[in-house]
Amino acid sequence: MSNLLEIKEVIKKFYAKYDVYVLPVLKFLLALVVLLGIKGRLGYMTRLNNVAIILIVSLLCSFLPVGFMIFFAAVFVLLHCYSLAMEAALVVACLFILMLLLFFRFSPKESVCVLLTPICFALHIPYVMPIAMGLIGTPASAIAVACGTVIHYLTVFISQNAQTLGAGEASEAVARIRLMIDGLLGNKTMIIVVVAFIMTVALVYLIRRLSVDHSWTIAIIAGTISNIMIILVGDLMYDINVSVVALILGSLGAALLVLVLQFFVFSVDYSRTEKVQFEDDEYYYYVKAVPKMAVAVSEKTVKKINTQTGRSVHTQTGRDEHLKRPVSTERQVRRGNSVTIGTKHQPDYRNDDYEEI
Amino acid sequence: MLNEERVILMTKLAAYEQNEGRKMVAVGKYFRSDYIGIQVLKSVIGSTVAFIIIFALYILYDLENFMNDIYKMDLFVFAKNVLIYYAVFVVVFAVITFFVYSYRYTKAKKSTRTYYMNLKKLASMYDKNNNY
Repeated sequence: MSNLLEIKEVIKKFYAKYDVYVLPVLKFLLALVVLLGIKGRLGYMTRLNNVAIILIVSLLCSFLPVGFMIFFAAVFVLLHCYSLAMEAALVVACLFILMLLLFFRFSPKESVCVLLTPICFALHIPYVMPIAMGLIGTPASAIAVACGTVIHYLTVFISQNAQTLGAGEASEAVARIRLMIDGLLGNKTMIIVVVAFIMTVALVYLIRRLSVDHSWTIAIIAGTISNIMIILVGDLMYDINVSVVALILGSLGAALLVLVLQFFVFSVDYSRTEKVQFEDDEYYYYVKAVPKMAVAVSEKTVKKINTQTGRSVHTQTGRDEHLKRPVSTERQVRRGNSVTIGTKHQPDYRNDDYEEI
Repeated sequence: MLNEERVILMTKLAAYEQNEGRKMVAVGKYFRSDYIGIQVLKSVIGSTVAFIIIFALYILYDLENFMNDIYKMDLFVFAKNVLIYYAVFVVVFAVITFFVYSYRYTKAKKSTRTYYMNLKKLASMYDKNNNY
């Protein structure tokens, strides 16, 4: 455990030191994955499939706010739909505008979920999103996750019905619009998954806010189980043919991933919980303070031992490596107020030549 | 000479101003009724546009039947129904907006109160320094 914590500290330090570079790189990668995903799933406008365009837009996204990434992704989806069929683009545009007007003006911060959810679907771990957002987000994140889910199923629907949508005559415009709307509203799988995700986010959020020990872990487990149950019940009720094996494996994988996330976001030591009560003029306070787990990262100090100037010539002959000798590495494990210090000494290699000097 | 306490306080204030504080201070400049009123108004406009889009899609979905029926049906009743749906939609959305932004306003006020207190503290620190 202490090794893992040490790795976490190293990552944190690295991020703190280089966040100016890390954040744009991460944004660039996210934009690249999103745009390549759109190209792979839709990709009907050949001019947009040019890797150079995708790279340039990703580079733009790397230093623009996240909102622009969503904007570019939406534009790409719309353009691909447009070159397939104008009606498809029309319906998708209406859906995007509705999402923008009705939902994203409330929680613009969490709108990045709209991009992450389809990516998780593509990676076959969609169940990560509701649990993770329940843990680190607010109940409002449920809406963003739901919108992401709708967009995923919409793109799947378009790519499955590309031939029907693309081949029609101009006179069948209304039929195509009807096909799109039917595909959107009549998709029972989508509706069940959306309901399951919304309920999972709410449940995970409620449980992790409880003042119970290990509330995060309980929330993850409960969220995973409820998610599986809701989808299975939906499957029984509407006969949507969900692959049970994929559902369970995906959920387990998601739970593991979220446990890793929990380790990075919220690692506390419940064994050292302190409960205190005090009062001021207005309130009584019942405070439960749970300390965070922390380790000091081992720092290796390299001491240079120089010989006296007069004799240094003698030691310079191919034996420089002995001059730099690690003295000791210290490792501290902080536990509350008591500090345990373990000292590791490097094997003290003696060198006869060196000692003589 | 550097006053360490003051530098720490200023750093905290600057960090607040740059991050969450920016929005919070902007919200705090409004009166409660003004802020919520503006947000509700925005929601009404947004939901009106949304309703028009939904209505247009609804008509387009069944355009042929609608065009056939348009001479047969009672347009006043139809318009009345549409208006009722519109009113319900907008009111529900406005009420949700009202609650969400009331909550946000209270939160922003609380957050800025600490900020302004710290600003006062900083000013008093400067005063003290000047007196000596």
